[in-house]
Amino acid sequence: MANFFSTRATKGLLNVGEIYCPKNGEFPSFKEAAGTAYLNNFVKNVPEDDFNSLSLVLAIFSFLPNFLLVWIINLCTNAQNSPSDGLLYSNLRQLNLGLRGLCYSIYYSEFTNPNYKGKKALDVLDYKLNRVTE
Amino acid sequence: MLYDFIVVGSGSGGGALSYYLNKSGAKVLLLEAGKFYRKDTFPKTEAETSAYLYWGGGIEFAKDGRMGFLRTKMVGGSSIVYQCLMDRFDDIALNDWKNESGVNWFTPEIMAPHYDQVESDMVLHTFCREEMRPNGILFADACDKLGYKWGYLRRGQSNCAPEKDNDCTGCLGGCFRDSKQSSLVAFIQKAEKEGLEIIAETEIYKVEPNKDTCKVHGFQNGKQVTFEGKKVILSGGAFGSTRMMHMSGYKSKLPALGKKFASHPQFMWLGFQNEIVDAHKGMFQSVASKDPNFRAQGFKLENVFASPISIGMLMNETGIEHQRLMKQYRYMQCIEVAVRDENAGEILCDNKGKLTVSKPLTDQDKTRRDKGHHAIENILNTSGAKEIYKSKFYFGLHLMGGCTMGVDGATSVVNPDFQVHGEKTLYIADSSIFPNAPGINPGLTIKSLGHKLAQQLIK
Repeated sequence: MANFFSTRATKGLLNVGEIYCPKNGEFPSFKEAAGTAYLNNFVKNVPEDDFNSLSLVLAIFSFLPNFLLVWIINLCTNAQNSPSDGLLYSNLRQLNLGLRGLCYSIYYSEFTNPNYKGKKALDVLDYKLNRVTE
Repeated sequence: MLYDFIVVGSGSGGGALSYYLNKSGAKVLLLEAGKFYRKDTFPKTEAETSAYLYWGGGIEFAKDGRMGFLRTKMVGGSSIVYQCLMDRFDDIALNDWKNESGVNWFTPEIMAPHYDQVESDMVLHTFCREEMRPNGILFADACDKLGYKWGYLRRGQSNCAPEKDNDCTGCLGGCFRDSKQSSLVAFIQKAEKEGLEIIAETEIYKVEPNKDTCKVHGFQNGKQVTFEGKKVILSGGAFGSTRMMHMSGYKSKLPALGKKFASHPQFMWLGFQNEIVDAHKGMFQSVASKDPNFRAQGFKLENVFASPISIGMLMNETGIEHQRLMKQYRYMQCIEVAVRDENAGEILCDNKGKLTVSKPLTDQDKTRRDKGHHAIENILNTSGAKEIYKSKFYFGLHLMGGCTMGVDGATSVVNPDFQVHGEKTLYIADSSIFPNAPGINPGLTIKSLGHKLAQQLIK
């Protein structure tokens, strides 16, 4: 069965993404710029077990108040520096990279919300790639 | 149908091997789990590249969640997304292989004709000063000031159109002009024209060798399929071949299966310059360290770079601090240290085929990393970097071991003739047979080992 984020999980991702990539000067807020319509394309090759775990975590995140979410994200971020190789810290590290990967994949990409007309994150970086095919 | 040879996996090893076997007139089938992309169908964006071309939908993790592994899934394998840097192994690497495995043909003299043949079948280009971009110039000039030896890289490429300002970071998701000499371009597409049968999107999970032939079992579009060849060669890479061997029940017969895994852990640091560097533009990687002291100390440095999502992933900061760092994307100078690591890792597999990879950094690995970081810091400071970002995240691109070659079936998986110990019709030819980490880009040697095996099988 294809991996598909529920509305609830997508809401959780938007909340998390806003912590990683808030509105800041020229940078757009994750919530307004992220092309969540493309989200499912980016997870179609994620193993089903991993996807289901991620989807569940995101759905839970959608219910959490922002201060608690910030605390959890900080926990994940700090796990990167923890000497512990226990199950909790291993999972937090994987969650840290998984969430960041998903958020940055749509934030630093061409796949923005079609209703968003402002400057994209890639434009703020002034990133241009020239592909010469012929 | 009974094939003369079935090659499972189409990366550096499988691509070259199937080309040479097919050239001999044999009936060869090349099987690949991933899709068959061409220059005009590769993903066009970084986000799609990560999501579509890699196992795990982007990245796989070591058990402790510290190290990420990048493992590709498509016809051409890792050679599609890597930089195609073509280096021969030196005496140090081959001697260490010989000593660890007991295989006496791991010598520069015996490997030379295989390197020669593979090199003659590719278009190779060695960079020069005029082709260097600012990231490379900053690196080389600082090395000169510090007394570090460096050299130009040799890359497989035919026509990258630098005069038209083509940006080669784009080809990290597959070369869209068939210039990069991936296995797809240098071998598979040529063999395809000469009759090589290629079946993509077919994932083999089990091999069944017998006295005269070998069957492979897998799934294609959700349906069970079986193919049979007089000889089967696994070329699925360290994870892929090891997984197939695990799922075929070899762990009880060959206790070394899955062991001696190494990955050349890579650590990227960034230096922020006052002037624009544009490290993502043009021929973005042209030089590397060539310092014998670094080699002796077990690391090398390269002036790599990546597209924004990957650079963002190097940073553990969130929010405004993350954006402050990313805003300087065009001002970033980048150097990585690749560690010649000890083969202390292990690839395990459950009965459903789920891999668990243990890859601790040993004390020696950490010492080598720290020495490399010290050299990077010196280079970045000498280059005038106003700020240095020391990323803690590290990853493995060169996945090696798991089915190592050796003379003893108790401590290795394949014998010096590439045959699985105790089997007559089952072979392995890819990076999984590496006895230990060479500390050198492995692509050319994997292809050359494929050529060596092809010569042996054709006889």
